[in-house]
Amino acid sequence: MSGMRGLSVFISDIRNCQNKEAEILRVDKELGNIRTCFKNDKVLTPYKKKKYVWKILYIHMLGYDVDFGHTEAVSLISAPKYPEKQVGYIVTSCLLNENHEFLRLAINAVRNDIIGRNETFQCLALTLVGNIGGREFAESLAPDVQKLLISSSCRPLVRKKAALCLLRLFRKNPDVVTADGWADHMAQLLDERDLGVLTSSMSLLVSLVSNDHEGYSSCLPKCVKTLERLARNQDVPQEYTYYGIPSPWLQVKTMRALQYFPTIEDPSTRRSLFEVLQRILMGTDVVKNVNKNNASHAVLFEALSLVMHLNAEKEMMSQCVALLGKFISVREPNIRYLGLENMTRMLMITDAQDIIKKHQPQIITSLKDPDISIRRRALDLLYGMCDASNAKDIVEELLQYLSTAEFAMREELSLKAAILAEKFAPDLSWYVDVILQLIDKAGDFVSDDIWFRVVQFVTNNEDLQPYAASKVREYMENIVIHETMVKVSAYILGEYGHLLARLPGCSPRELFGILHEKLPTVSTPTISLLLSTYAKLLMHTQPPDMELQKQIWTVFKKYESSIDVEIQQRAVEYFELSKKGAALMDVLAEMPKFPERQSSLIKKVEEVEDTADQSAIKLRVQQLPSNALVLADPKPVNGTPPPLKFPSMSGIKVNGTPQSLAIEALPGEISSQQRGLTEEEGVPGEVDGTAIVPVDEQANTVEPIGNIAERFHALCLKDSGVLYEDPYIQIGVKAEWQGHHGRLTLFLGNKNTSPLTSVQAIILPPAHLKLELSLVPDTIPPRAQVQCPLEVMNFRPSRDVAVLDFSYKFGTSLVSAKLRLPAVLNKFLQPLQLTSEEFFPQWRSLSGPPLKLQEVVRGVRPLALPEMENLFNSFRVTICPGLDPNPNNLVASTTFYSENTRAMLCLARIETDPADKTQLRLTVSSGDPTLTFELKEFIKEQLIAIPLGSRALVPAVPVPATPLAQPPSPVVDANDPGALLAGLL
Amino acid sequence: MPVAASAIYFLNLRGDVLINRTYRDDVGGNMVDAFRTHIMQTKELGNCPVRQIGGCSFVYMRISNVYIVIVVSSNANVACGFKFVVEAVALFKSYFGGAFDEDAIRNNFVLIYELLDEIMDFGYPQNLSPEILKLYITQEGVRSPFSSKPKDKPVPNATLQVTGAVGWRREGLSYKKNEVFLDIVESVNLLMSSKGNVLRCDVTGKVLMKCFLSGMPDLKLGLNDKIGLEKESEMKSRPAKSGKTIELDDVTFHQCVNLTRFNSEKTVSFVPPDGEFELMKYRITEGVNLPFRVLPTIKELGRTRMEVNVKVKSVFGAKMFALGVVVKIPVPKQTAKTNFQVTTGRAKYNPSIDCLVWKIRKFPGQTESTLSAEIELISTMGEKKSWTRPPIQMEFQVPMFTASGLRVRFLKVWEKSGYNTVEWVRYITKAGSYEIRC
Repeated sequence: MSGMRGLSVFISDIRNCQNKEAEILRVDKELGNIRTCFKNDKVLTPYKKKKYVWKILYIHMLGYDVDFGHTEAVSLISAPKYPEKQVGYIVTSCLLNENHEFLRLAINAVRNDIIGRNETFQCLALTLVGNIGGREFAESLAPDVQKLLISSSCRPLVRKKAALCLLRLFRKNPDVVTADGWADHMAQLLDERDLGVLTSSMSLLVSLVSNDHEGYSSCLPKCVKTLERLARNQDVPQEYTYYGIPSPWLQVKTMRALQYFPTIEDPSTRRSLFEVLQRILMGTDVVKNVNKNNASHAVLFEALSLVMHLNAEKEMMSQCVALLGKFISVREPNIRYLGLENMTRMLMITDAQDIIKKHQPQIITSLKDPDISIRRRALDLLYGMCDASNAKDIVEELLQYLSTAEFAMREELSLKAAILAEKFAPDLSWYVDVILQLIDKAGDFVSDDIWFRVVQFVTNNEDLQPYAASKVREYMENIVIHETMVKVSAYILGEYGHLLARLPGCSPRELFGILHEKLPTVSTPTISLLLSTYAKLLMHTQPPDMELQKQIWTVFKKYESSIDVEIQQRAVEYFELSKKGAALMDVLAEMPKFPERQSSLIKKVEEVEDTADQSAIKLRVQQLPSNALVLADPKPVNGTPPPLKFPSMSGIKVNGTPQSLAIEALPGEISSQQRGLTEEEGVPGEVDGTAIVPVDEQANTVEPIGNIAERFHALCLKDSGVLYEDPYIQIGVKAEWQGHHGRLTLFLGNKNTSPLTSVQAIILPPAHLKLELSLVPDTIPPRAQVQCPLEVMNFRPSRDVAVLDFSYKFGTSLVSAKLRLPAVLNKFLQPLQLTSEEFFPQWRSLSGPPLKLQEVVRGVRPLALPEMENLFNSFRVTICPGLDPNPNNLVASTTFYSENTRAMLCLARIETDPADKTQLRLTVSSGDPTLTFELKEFIKEQLIAIPLGSRALVPAVPVPATPLAQPPSPVVDANDPGALLAGLL
Repeated sequence: MPVAASAIYFLNLRGDVLINRTYRDDVGGNMVDAFRTHIMQTKELGNCPVRQIGGCSFVYMRISNVYIVIVVSSNANVACGFKFVVEAVALFKSYFGGAFDEDAIRNNFVLIYELLDEIMDFGYPQNLSPEILKLYITQEGVRSPFSSKPKDKPVPNATLQVTGAVGWRREGLSYKKNEVFLDIVESVNLLMSSKGNVLRCDVTGKVLMKCFLSGMPDLKLGLNDKIGLEKESEMKSRPAKSGKTIELDDVTFHQCVNLTRFNSEKTVSFVPPDGEFELMKYRITEGVNLPFRVLPTIKELGRTRMEVNVKVKSVFGAKMFALGVVVKIPVPKQTAKTNFQVTTGRAKYNPSIDCLVWKIRKFPGQTESTLSAEIELISTMGEKKSWTRPPIQMEFQVPMFTASGLRVRFLKVWEKSGYNTVEWVRYITKAGSYEIRC
């Protein structure tokens, strides 16, 4: 370049420019000049061409657009002399990218250089291909590059470049290197003595096996041999050692390559590899020299991940963990960071968890490290290693740390503490304690989600309510408390403050007093919350306390003119409502339970995750690949399986009376209870013939406890209970129905001390239902219970039943069961009581088949009338008493919900014969022909007691309504229901 | 009274501060760095004269190779700011004697500081009239009171001057030869479509005066504008003279013009300041006489060749001539080679502005000349963007021609002593932005 005066003058001109404007002018002038020269008819001398192309490169480097001159640059590639070739290659690789069409013109020239004999030209060409080679280059040049790489006549310099060039081409187009064609060559390459070529080849191998390790197994022993050679420091030339470490780069790459192979089968290879690893693990120590430390630790950490990958013996694992433990107590922060990070990675291996737990105190000390990134890593690790056994300690530690942690971390910290507390709570009161402490200590950093969650928990758990109320009452004693605490307290005291009424200092008036003290200090959203609380307090004060009422009304009056619309509206409405007296009870009734849902906290923490590549959150997600909530039972197991906990299910109201649920009882009790039910109904033990699949077909060795069909029938009439139970697992169901939507929650409880694996649940839905089951975890931990929500939507009336195909593995035996799900027709009914004025016009308007069907049913189970009434009420068809003048007849009504029919009124009439209780006449009518038929059949099924196997054969012949009944007589006196009915029927 | 500036900076094109003055302390000293990084180094420099960064407004303009930047943080009057800059530059020019550029600033630091102190006070513009400022900010040395030479001039009384009834003229002036020079300078703005339709056309004109008159003279100027003529004929109760009358829009007068008399009698009468000043400004949008017609034909022949033919016709009187005619014909960026044939003048390709520049020193009236050029383009790698065809630009000066047709009918001078005066009148028309699409 030294000889080009024009170029150096141009560059010094540019550098002398006073300002950008002058520079632009100079560049534009030069570009015009170059354009003129290139366009000239005379042939440019190679010297001039070279000079202008250099200028173009310089202008391009200054950031100006150059959109010509590529032809000249490419043409220089095929020039005979080195200086011209060099500029051609350099400018081409700078100006063009792999997708440039122009590059096609260069391929041939480049290929000529690659297959040529001149080593420098080969190197130039390989560098260009390596820098910009795209798919097209890969297709046309890969064979030549491969040939260069394996040729023995080339110098190592060329072969090194060829290996890296091939790596690039492979990345761009993986088809260029196939395992069956290249594996042998690859293995051969690994025998290379020259460490430079070997390092480049190893990079290639890493890329190849990361794509697909199949076929490269022959390389595995060679890699191990290479490692041995390096580790034993055999014939490594001086120039390839770095601070006495034989080529750390090659070592790291080799170990990385080994990690892409699944396992090492050959015992001798495995043994020698472990020997090497052992040597690396033992031989590394912290020294003074930073560079040496970096190199040796790079090797060490790669070795650690290889050990993790190979699932080595426990001894080696514990050695690794011990080493990491040593690192996290070292002074050097980088090493401490890496130690913590690798421990987090170690968590993935299940048996390492226990060994890591030994270092818990050390990790907790790292929380106090001056370096924030180390503290974050430690927090991550603690979060990751937390399980039921150490949750209490860790959460307490986090809480303690919270008051000293810096502000940037507090939000994450409180979120994590809240999640751990929720996940691993040994009992719910502890959870409430933790969250309240959290709010107390770091109120500013507690997001709304956290206190929403605690409110949900308290609302859904009746036994927790008094405890929570008294606890927040304690917190309210403090003079200065955080606003979030005021919010929680206001909500909980409003809802459940009355439960404390007998305690000293907890009368409504006193509660109002302490809450009202906080009012002037809080923001508007909290004021509206407080107003609601006052209204609730007022409602709970029975008999009304005139003074309290006066005080509260004063407050309402005051806020009636608040500038905030929300507050104003609440104040006005509550004031008016509170004048209503007893009616207030209905309007301000206790909040209903919240539906079970995934904790929004976990979602949130996934969002706020920082950039650490292997974060504990992700590990946790990997461990629990479902949104099901796991509640571990940490209590020691003594002999018999203890009852599984259903924390959110106590106090479900069935038929209006609070009942302790069957699920909470011992399995034996459940079956006895159920037996009682089934006996009462007289449902036989066989499988219902209408089920679409033979549900009891089980080739299992495991016998279910209790009768599956009985359990199913019981669940058809109730909303919660046990669906299935065997010695290992208990499946409970809890359902909520609303209109044509339903939400079933399956509780999969593992009754054993070892995990159930390969858990699978598949729903086979009938055509009229849409069922969505959330992910079921693959494994159910010992003595844990998993909740799986299941969404149901009903499209049209049908009696078909959904089936759950459930299977799991216990030890080696596979257990599977097909279970009918209690999402049956009557679940979509809503009881409806009609008066005679409402009933008769409807009954009259629905006349004749197919909207009204009548049938004489024989072989009915003999039932007394009150019993029959109960039966009808239990499947949500309401008996309307006194409508029919004949005391032996029953008239009933209900509403059916589905996506197609929406809300549909259904009416029924049963005429019994007091002489023969085994027969009756059934008339059903609704606005939908299918619904009428299906409902009639359903009621018939419930009433009839014929053996189920044969019932399918009995054709259900609908008997049309008697011709007498229609058209209805118009002269009937509308005020006499008896006469009316007689006329209608 | 609005605030015009919190601080004023003079920067060179590199962004170095040449001189600065802070009038209020509501802007930090480092705000100029914000200007440098956020405005000067971006491409928006040329097209957005007011920018807001970090709560401060930057009002800036470029004059030759200097950026004058006003920084203000309150709700300032931007027009006032610009006017202040323009007036200040005029003031500096009258002090430096012509040029205002980086070197002039470097050579006059002390003077500029002195002036900056005087022309703005706490952000409010003050008197910017050069005549008055020159009374007390002088460039001469201070004479010692003990020097023997007697004073030949009375010490001017600045206070009286500023507060007096005729603030712009000093009493007791006397010239041997009483002369008045009157220049009418017009610039023509034109945008014409390629088919020859006039899209936009107007003329902005100025009446500049240079007075060397003794005493306190009263001057009266008569133009052939419509309002003045109508009023005159009305007063003299005779029909308006036939002939061309000009309708002037947006007339602005120098402060010396007596506006009450203008409103009642529609005559421009005034006591002029001494020396050079701008008497009035106006604008004309109707009935403009265009001095030149341009007929371009540009043909793109394939991807690498172009043919350009431009014919320029002068349409003013045959006795007149235009000077310094420059026609800039844009060509694509990838132009490599050009071949010209011109009937008059010289043409060349200027790659730094991507134009063919055709210069004709003297262009007589009622003639035409043509340029034909062949252009070769170099083939490019980038995706083929069609050329945007910017308009052809033209520069010229035509002496003794007014595009508006404005003429001076009379200029009368009265003075108590009744001396004779010599009046000189000149006309000149220049090109403003004279553009023809092609």
